[in-house]
Amino acid sequence: MSPGARRLAVPQPAAVLTGPGGRPLAVDRHEVVAVRESWLIEDRWWTDRPLRRRYWEVVTVDGRDLVVFRELQDGQWYRHR
Amino acid sequence: MSSIVCVMLPRFELAVAAGRREALLEGPAALAPEPGREQLVGEVSRAAEAFGIHPGMRLGEALARCPRLALVPPDPVGVADEWERVVVALEGIGAAVEDDRPGVACFDARGLRRLHGGSLDGVVSAVRAALRRPARIGAGPSRFCALAAAARARPRRAAIMARPGELAGEPVALLRHRERTAARPEALERLGVRTLGELAALPRAALSDRFGPAGLIAHDLAHGRDTPLVPRRATEALEETLELEESASGAQLERGLALLIDRLLARRERDGRTLRAVVLSAALVEGGTWRERVVFREPLADPARMGLVLAQRLAVLPAPAEALRLAVERFGAPHPGERALFDDGAAQRRARLREAIRQVRAVAGPEGALRVLTVDPDSRVPERRAVLTPFEL
Repeated sequence: MSPGARRLAVPQPAAVLTGPGGRPLAVDRHEVVAVRESWLIEDRWWTDRPLRRRYWEVVTVDGRDLVVFRELQDGQWYRHR
Repeated sequence: MSSIVCVMLPRFELAVAAGRREALLEGPAALAPEPGREQLVGEVSRAAEAFGIHPGMRLGEALARCPRLALVPPDPVGVADEWERVVVALEGIGAAVEDDRPGVACFDARGLRRLHGGSLDGVVSAVRAALRRPARIGAGPSRFCALAAAARARPRRAAIMARPGELAGEPVALLRHRERTAARPEALERLGVRTLGELAALPRAALSDRFGPAGLIAHDLAHGRDTPLVPRRATEALEETLELEESASGAQLERGLALLIDRLLARRERDGRTLRAVVLSAALVEGGTWRERVVFREPLADPARMGLVLAQRLAVLPAPAEALRLAVERFGAPHPGERALFDDGAAQRRARLREAIRQVRAVAGPEGALRVLTVDPDSRVPERRAVLTPFEL
């Protein structure tokens, strides 16, 4: 999308505590009680700006359903909602 | 009196399309035909010319003459951008430029002499300083004479053709520079007519009989007679670009187009004017670019009608696109009461809503009224699915 367009659902940086296998244990200090799904996205690997993300859909102890991902290029965590 | 100046940048389109691969142009290379268009090669390198290949030759014939001919994918968008910079640089010295095709620009120097030292040499120096790149510059009493002079000029020394009579010794291949006569040199050479002098000596009726209107134009040009220059109208640049994260085609591309139209119409610089002509272009996934000029049958400011027209052009896009761009080429008159596609009772309500949006934007700025546009609902990356776009009716 061009720089001028305002996207929706832009990822926000998140503080994620991880356990074995990179599984999230807490998101922004909220304990994760269940992992609903995990998937990997690899896209635009043929360009200078490849996109590699490991997504996790988790439920936290306060009942919220969150989608977080780890940017595999730099190891940073982000959340969508 | 040499009043017309021609600035020629040889192989301009080929050089731009080759980009940083300049080494490619040292061998036989030619601009490949645009996808979906007639299979004719574009500009050719000097090494390719040595094989007898020339612009406009059938691709099959060109490859038969030189099997190792390198075909460079055309880049019409890059060429248009680069050429715009050249023309703007020339306009910067005060020239009213006719830019018939990329690589050749002509202007009348009569009004410029006093600005640049009172002589043609001063104008030529100003052109060189403005362009800051090697260019062949010629001057003559008409456009074609100036072009012929530029074709024989050296990169550092301008050539001046004082009289049309000097055209006599020039090759008929010069006619390739004009669209209407581009296909004639080959036939003329086969008939043994090699110079413009020989062409000028032929009876006009015979040329008309053999080549039709193009023969008459060629005859006029050989005598140095040419039509007056038609300088381009100065216009403001207004464009919107959309980079598509995932290579797009079909419905996804049409949604991107809708977003571009909305954003272009919402630009403050448009100031209520309608759009008369636009340029739709795309960067293709497989390399190269695609560009299409669209002149609306009547000036438009209705996004639905514009979308209908432009979506048809997108249908002929030769490959998925990485980026889409919509630029205004010419504005129409302001026309607040533009007809809608279906003129029913809703038109008045839309007009009131349009006015309300205008007032909201006046108070809250351009982002005062937005709507959610689904660009790629099936994308695996959430932030690519929807964007906020200016609300347009």
